[in-house]
Amino acid sequence: MNEMSAIDRLNDNEPAAPLQATPRLQRLLAKVNPKSYPICIEKARLVIESYRAHAGLPQITRKALAIAHFLDNRTIFIEDDELIVGNIASKPCGLEVGPHGPTWPEEDFTSLLQSGYEISSEDEAELRALDSYWLGKGRTFYERMGRVYDDERIWPFIQSGIMLPPWAKKDEGRGHGITDFGWGLTLGYSLIVVDFEKVLRHGTKAIIAAAEEELRNLRFLQPGGLEKAEFLQAVIIAHQALIRIANRFAKLALDMAGREQDPARRAELEEIATICAHVPEHPARTFREALQSFWFTWLMIASGTAAGGRFDQFMYPYYKADLEAGRINPAQAAELLAMLRLKVMHSNGVAGGKTQRDKWSGMAKWHNWIIGGVTRDGKDATNDLSYLILDAAKLCPTPHHTITLRVHDGTPQDLMIKALEVVKLGIGLPAFVNDQSYIDYFTGEGASVEDARDYAIGGCLDGQLPGKSRTNAMGMFVVPLVFLMTMNNGFDSRTQKQLGPKTGAFEDFATFEDFFAAFKTQLRHFMELAAEEHNILLQAQADFFADPIHSSLMEGAIEVGRDALARAMPFENGAILNPVGMINVADSMAAVKKLVFEEKKVSKSALRQALAANWGGFEDMQKLFYDAPKYGNGDAFVDGIANTLYTFWSDTARTFTSIYGGAMKVAGISITSYGPAGSLTGATPDGRFAGENLADGSMSAEQGRDLKGPTALIRSAMTIDQRGFQATLFNMKFHPTAMTSKDDLGKVAALIRTYFRHGGKHVQFNVVNRDMLLDAQKNPERHRNLIVRVAGYSAYFVQLNAKIQADIIGRTEQHFAGA
Amino acid sequence: MNRSPTSLVDTVGAGAAAPAACADRGVAGSIFNIQRYSIHDGPGIRTTVFFKKCRLRCLWCQNPESQQEQPELFFNAEKCIGCGRCEKVCPEGAITLRDGRSWTDRARCTGAGACVEVCPQGARSLMGRVASVDDIFQEVSEDAIFYQESGGGVTLSGGDPLAQPEFALAILKRCKEAGYHTTLDTCGFASWHAVETIMPYVDLVLYDFKHMDPDKHKQYTGFSNEPILRNAKGIHHELKVPMRARYAVIPGYNDGVENATALADFIANELDRSIPVDLLPFHKYGGAKYQRLERVDELADTSPPSEAALTALRDIFLSRGLTAKVGG
Repeated sequence: MNEMSAIDRLNDNEPAAPLQATPRLQRLLAKVNPKSYPICIEKARLVIESYRAHAGLPQITRKALAIAHFLDNRTIFIEDDELIVGNIASKPCGLEVGPHGPTWPEEDFTSLLQSGYEISSEDEAELRALDSYWLGKGRTFYERMGRVYDDERIWPFIQSGIMLPPWAKKDEGRGHGITDFGWGLTLGYSLIVVDFEKVLRHGTKAIIAAAEEELRNLRFLQPGGLEKAEFLQAVIIAHQALIRIANRFAKLALDMAGREQDPARRAELEEIATICAHVPEHPARTFREALQSFWFTWLMIASGTAAGGRFDQFMYPYYKADLEAGRINPAQAAELLAMLRLKVMHSNGVAGGKTQRDKWSGMAKWHNWIIGGVTRDGKDATNDLSYLILDAAKLCPTPHHTITLRVHDGTPQDLMIKALEVVKLGIGLPAFVNDQSYIDYFTGEGASVEDARDYAIGGCLDGQLPGKSRTNAMGMFVVPLVFLMTMNNGFDSRTQKQLGPKTGAFEDFATFEDFFAAFKTQLRHFMELAAEEHNILLQAQADFFADPIHSSLMEGAIEVGRDALARAMPFENGAILNPVGMINVADSMAAVKKLVFEEKKVSKSALRQALAANWGGFEDMQKLFYDAPKYGNGDAFVDGIANTLYTFWSDTARTFTSIYGGAMKVAGISITSYGPAGSLTGATPDGRFAGENLADGSMSAEQGRDLKGPTALIRSAMTIDQRGFQATLFNMKFHPTAMTSKDDLGKVAALIRTYFRHGGKHVQFNVVNRDMLLDAQKNPERHRNLIVRVAGYSAYFVQLNAKIQADIIGRTEQHFAGA
Repeated sequence: MNRSPTSLVDTVGAGAAAPAACADRGVAGSIFNIQRYSIHDGPGIRTTVFFKKCRLRCLWCQNPESQQEQPELFFNAEKCIGCGRCEKVCPEGAITLRDGRSWTDRARCTGAGACVEVCPQGARSLMGRVASVDDIFQEVSEDAIFYQESGGGVTLSGGDPLAQPEFALAILKRCKEAGYHTTLDTCGFASWHAVETIMPYVDLVLYDFKHMDPDKHKQYTGFSNEPILRNAKGIHHELKVPMRARYAVIPGYNDGVENATALADFIANELDRSIPVDLLPFHKYGGAKYQRLERVDELADTSPPSEAALTALRDIFLSRGLTAKVGG
């Protein structure tokens, strides 16, 4: 193979071998997994400095000025061996804190430091001083939300934990300590895929020129002119600052080249200087320039989630041109793509207070690069870069960035196998998604089929149309809490309050159908409150998180002249209602129906007593409920209930309207919230103890309850109509012995294709061995690099909290040794 | 008991008996597991039906729970808390409490399973159940969509399916009617009549060779290999059913160069060089099963073969022009 021999040349003519990281890559790789991570306060210092200086200006203007001030004054450096430049924090792998709100309370901060972060005492003191900018000033969006939470209705709901996590105080929201990273100021809790091509193909100068042109033509004869002018000015300020920092890198590279003794490295630095002087201001001319332009742009939109979009599609023209001109070979491209992985690895974010951090266990990062799928006209979109992106993951088996492979009928089997070879490495990626199911979601909501075919993933698995949509409110709604409240006539035993309507005492329900109807009434009641919470969140974010950079990279930004949070998008999915633990409810419903209503083996009051006692003294009854039919075994009875529940959820959500207009949409993604959600949830009739984890994902079975192997589990998941969901999450765990030979991988590919042909939306795999995980719990220091797939992202196992670790170990291992 | 000349259950060795349960219940039989997503028992994604009952008694048997036709009790002593629920329900009075945990008199246990129902710890389970052909067909058909996508199908394994030939035949017929690819995993110890009746419904045979020396074979498995080798030839030459040879490599028993050479020569000369050979290394997973059956594991001290030993054995097959690999 051409590609192999090229790699061999890079490897100093070593004999033919599988892809191998070059020494340069190995050195860069060694830097991304340090023993401890520094906390970086530079961003907070500069941003707050600017906010203070411009306190009276409109928010969008203050944001643009803060971005400019930060970019003009921040620390920049170029590390040895780097070809793609642009450091994220002021220190390698640094954790940037404080630009969006106060940092952690003392106890939380200590716990963070204990989990492997470090800060100097001077920086800590300065950070604490910066907190005074936020504390008690009403400046955070949480405070704005909390001020409208009335004590009668919404505030008890927010405290209940149905929307995770429960708030403790009205002015602290989900907990202080929002971190952020990158060069821009985030667009809030966005799941968004920007249109990178605007920069790659035309350069930021085109965006600036368009904004200037629009400003020139703007006449203040209609409402909103002022806001439009302010927005356009902000776009110009921010993009000009981006060009300036790129030029700072160009100058730095030249200075370093002047001092460099090694002629090879000197030439590299000179080339870096040339590239940074050209992009992102101007259109990229080569693959290298396109990568650098992408990286600068990505840094500007990096925040909680920063999607890479359909990377193999928009980068391919540059690669192809270089390849044809002899400027690059596949091995060089794979190395550059691997370097990009390592740049992403330097990003560092832990969200919010301790409970929020638990929810996003393990430095969650959802930087999702999409490969494969179909083109806008429906043809297979696979190209050489689709493969090379996977090769780069083999070269640099790091957990980030993640990769999602879009699968359709025409996806080449070679690509499937290569993707599974990467899965086999045990880094938990790529994930596989079903084109048809995602496309059906978008067309079902009114998108054109061409636009729908162009979808990418924002965050974990949420389908987004690049430049055309964004989701900013997607809570974690803990459904089993509502189930338990239904059994208690709307009373919440955790907060000891009557939160729901009185739908009847459990003992009085004559039939299962009556009970089920009461549950639906309760669920609708709380979903409506969740919808209100989402709309309040959207409005509070719209002002606080305005961002000229994100917004300028969306369709029609300049013409409309509004921030992406201040206008409806071409495809509107601003608010998503997202259930957690639905499978526990399905299993509980099935058990109650069978044992209480049909077979009458257990009386209603006895069940209530047993649950209240957390099964203490009711062990025999618990076994009955544990052994009742469970989702995940291809059992039509319980699978049917699961489908009914998800369908009800989906139909009900669509009766609510988001502030942007249009119905609220749905997803089924629990990330790692099934741990903290389980902590809040009492014993349930699926046989589960109080406090135990809920089922992970949304299509996965409860841990250890799927006993009939992966095909039965998949058949259960197939029963659920997933098309109307923006995302679903389905985890499968494989022991490496089930993926040894190429033949085995072909069978896993067939498993995926079968699932997708019958309505599945997503599947991802953990390929690790149980003993390895147990040992990692005992000896974390020996397993610092052990990577597992948690939800939509992979994480270092030893950085996960104990609860999630136990869960990963407990997920049914699909281990099928040969004869 | 059906002993008509057309019965598939006739003698190939001393003491062979027709399965009473099978004959009495019409087309039903005894199985101990249905394994879905079975990927090392033939092409594609498969469902493997593990039959109870085997005529051979290989000392190294790694599925000892498959040997008897009737259900057998699996007991996980570590899980037992000695609560005594099982003692109270056993219809045979076979269970007593000893040293804080339950103890089963295996001679009296009939595999009724009452104890399994009441055990709160899951320490007791029953290996084996009687199933009708309808039940089994229905269960394997649940995964038909996976067979279609992957070119897979249904595998009968065991035990030895040929020890319940009518049952095996009925399942295979149903599978073929439904268009599923069928694989039969057997040690070939059966009457020629049974073999030739069943084989038209088999797309692939996984044929286990235990030992090439007739005396050693008798010593280690209880029977001579003579009918096994004869059937292998018949299946290949007369019935022309595609075959893979399987050689479970058991250190100290059948891993000698002489035996491997004899097997390689037999396949190359008496069968065909096109028949691939899978060397299946002995593993220790069977040990726990003996414990749970409360039986002696004769090979408790035997270790899995080394990679070097396996490679050397594989090379013997390769040197005869055969295709051979380690692992299923």
